[in-house]
Amino acid sequence: MWKTIFRRLLLMIPQIIILSILIFIIAEFMPGDPFTGMIDPNVDPAQIDALREQFGLNDPLPVKYVRWVGNALQGDFGRSFNYKTDVLNVIGDRLGNTVRLSLLSTVLTYLIALPLGIFSGRYNDTLFDKGVIIYNFVSFAVPTFVLALLMVFVFGYNLGWFPSRGSIDVQASGFWEESWSRLYHLILPSITTAILGTTSIIQFLRTEIIDAKTSDYVKTARSKGVPIDKVYTRHIFRNASLPIASGFGYTIVNLLTGSIFIERIFNYSGMGNLFIESILSRDYSVIFVLVLFYGILGLIGTLLSDLILMTVDPRIRID
Amino acid sequence: MSNKKKYSLLASSAAVAFILAACGGSDDSASESGSEGGSTEGGSTEEVEIPTFEQSVTNEGEAIDGGTMSIAYVSDSAFTGIFSWELYESGPDADVMAYTMGQLLGVDENYQYDDTGAASIDVDPETDTVTLTVKDGVTWHDGEPLTADDILFAHEIIGSPDYTGIRYSSDFAAIEGMEAYKNGEADSISGMTLSDDEMTLTIQYESVGVQMLAAGGGVWGYAAPRHYLGEIPIADLESAPEIRENPLGFGPFKVDSIVPGESVSYSAYEDYYRGTPQLDGIELETVSPSTAVAAMENAQFDLFTGGVPTDQYDSFADMPGYTILGQDDLAYTYIGFKLGEWQEAQTDEDGNVTEPAQNVYNPDAKMADVNLRKAMAYAIDNDAVGERFYQGLRRRANSPIIPNFADYYNADVEGYPIDVEEANRLLDEAGYEYDGEFRTTPEGEELVINFASMSGGDVAEPIAEYYIQSWANIGLNVQLVDGRLLEFNSFYDRVEADDPEIDIYQGAWGTGSDPTPDGLWGPTAAFNYTRWVTDENTAYMEDLLSDQGFDTEWRAEVFNEWQEYFMDQVPAIPTLFRKAVYPVNNRVGAFDITPGANLDDPGVGYHTWYLTSEERATE
Repeated sequence: MWKTIFRRLLLMIPQIIILSILIFIIAEFMPGDPFTGMIDPNVDPAQIDALREQFGLNDPLPVKYVRWVGNALQGDFGRSFNYKTDVLNVIGDRLGNTVRLSLLSTVLTYLIALPLGIFSGRYNDTLFDKGVIIYNFVSFAVPTFVLALLMVFVFGYNLGWFPSRGSIDVQASGFWEESWSRLYHLILPSITTAILGTTSIIQFLRTEIIDAKTSDYVKTARSKGVPIDKVYTRHIFRNASLPIASGFGYTIVNLLTGSIFIERIFNYSGMGNLFIESILSRDYSVIFVLVLFYGILGLIGTLLSDLILMTVDPRIRID
Repeated sequence: MSNKKKYSLLASSAAVAFILAACGGSDDSASESGSEGGSTEGGSTEEVEIPTFEQSVTNEGEAIDGGTMSIAYVSDSAFTGIFSWELYESGPDADVMAYTMGQLLGVDENYQYDDTGAASIDVDPETDTVTLTVKDGVTWHDGEPLTADDILFAHEIIGSPDYTGIRYSSDFAAIEGMEAYKNGEADSISGMTLSDDEMTLTIQYESVGVQMLAAGGGVWGYAAPRHYLGEIPIADLESAPEIRENPLGFGPFKVDSIVPGESVSYSAYEDYYRGTPQLDGIELETVSPSTAVAAMENAQFDLFTGGVPTDQYDSFADMPGYTILGQDDLAYTYIGFKLGEWQEAQTDEDGNVTEPAQNVYNPDAKMADVNLRKAMAYAIDNDAVGERFYQGLRRRANSPIIPNFADYYNADVEGYPIDVEEANRLLDEAGYEYDGEFRTTPEGEELVINFASMSGGDVAEPIAEYYIQSWANIGLNVQLVDGRLLEFNSFYDRVEADDPEIDIYQGAWGTGSDPTPDGLWGPTAAFNYTRWVTDENTAYMEDLLSDQGFDTEWRAEVFNEWQEYFMDQVPAIPTLFRKAVYPVNNRVGAFDITPGANLDDPGVGYHTWYLTSEERATE
């Protein structure tokens, strides 16, 4: 197993190199640059040209790439054109927010999805099960931004239960007050994300459990006299959770990527928001690092999923 | 609001619109205006009431003691949090800074500098010097006095060889010794001298002009605290915590805390030189345009500023608890005709510049016939566009000078109200004959005019379609470049590069607070995307910048003549003047956005704001 992991990690190196070259080429084809449209009678176009030259935007692609790689290997990922500071600082500022949001969302997702999936599978075709199916259809069909805006308007504005924007109250000071303020701001966006994330988990669990109920090993266990509750917790749940486990690696990775829609609508400054803003303003240095970062996370996610699957299901071997 | 530099609205609004288009599920104005777009074809239909706005409001009631005013900064692009006039780039940063950093010079109703600020200015055309004198008693938030040395420091930041910002310009290069300082050849800027008491700074220019008396006209009207920032290397300044976390200014409010990109809280600076602010503090929060109206319905803020979404005006025009103030924005929309090309600077063998970079007019350009341009201007009904698409918050522009510059705006120029008959007559006379559905060129060749227009916002598409339809009505075959609206970045890339695929384009222009139009229409202006150059126009530009302009009546006369000339030549059709609106809650005692109003009048200067109730008004 360790050999496999090691080999997979080695394989990542060429993958990352190819990815970085691809990003550079695609970025080159994007129209505009960080200074495009900076039309201001108080700004001298000559100064903008001088800055383009100074930041090497006019250099040919290979020169840019080699310079970037050279710097990146020394830990210098460049300076954000938008935020005018080190790219890693910019990302670092937002990573925390995104991790907090995703962590709470993931926890809530499983808190909602696991019981719903298990019970609707166990008591299928009951009224409860039908309710869950309808909920599932709705949460699957509703677009992220519709639900998010709805949540903001209902719970943020009309009822006023939760703050409708931002990640922290500007007045909050001290550890406890800040933590509470952060959590309070997280509730609405994370519930929204959780509702949208439950669909596949519920669906997988429900079908797997329904399937498992009639399978031979369950019948055997029952005929041996194993109590029904124990059959569900020990036998069925373990098997039924395989498809979910296989996606768990990505779930972990998704903790770091953030959601563009959610962050945008809740004015929450995290990775998703940063990503879309960088693309719109052609903040190349941030785009490169983010895409590369997401790419690496994707690779790690695949590996993690395989490993998790291997641990959960001893029948699966990857070598 | 004040004389702060207005940015080109394009960058932010395009970004805003893009996102709104992506997640604007709540916004139903798209379908409405879309259908209206159809009904306006061929001219105006029923009348829409054009809203008029007050620029100030006074609400009854005793001022409460202190209180915190909360401000919604409506924008989809968050502020980056660079609290430095020298280093910031984006418009939101300027707005967030305005409460705390302080500006040196006050302005009158024409955005011309007067003596109401923390310093006074004197421009001397005899000696080509500008003298800035700081008033006594102005202090930074740490109690240190503001001196002219701080103004010198601001120049040293921008002039530094390590400077990374965008503010260095030919206006700085015109200061004696600045080039040498910029190149690292000199340790100080020889043309800048401090008086012995360090309260007066004299700046020697190559030449001074009357435009320097206007805000944004070339004199740097800001100061940077040398005692606070002086030790930091210029290259590190932009990421220093002294700029981003604990900025030091001399404005009416101090920064308490900043949540980057989201919110800022300010508290009153008691030793503010105009008087202690009446409020305890201000809380400013970034609010997305898609939820701004909902925030208003729930009375969450005392003031909405920034980019209050004018296309949702109907939904908040009669908002209970709020008064909507409005004023003309420092911007206008226009349709430009491509008439030439940009030519880079020409150099001889030794690398000496023989000819500066400049616009070169092409008499054979497709749009070079002035009658064709006039006909296209007459064919479109911008009065209707303003009423229909913008609920009257925009209106037909009659001149390339915005009405805000009251002394220089020529209201008597008629411009181009819709007149289809006149448009047809002009084309007939100029020899554009019909051949089938569309007209041909006078030479009998097929005429297809390629129109570049930017995507963004709900109304971009219907407006572009309306224009194309109107031009088809007079027999002109106008097509969208690439058959669709262009994304912001590629639009500018191509317009800037004089892409031959583009014959006409629709753009917008933030004018800044200096009315002098040489930055957009001058012969060497890179922003003159039409590339329109004539001898007469160049002469007008020279006159507007000449010493004789210190005679303001004469200058106003030149402005008036130039506007007539411009509208007669129509290198671009100024299409719309814009209104910016500011919803103010009725618990705010007084609020006034009149440009150049006395800062000590209630509601004008930030330190005069006050509240009349602990709770926000809801009716």
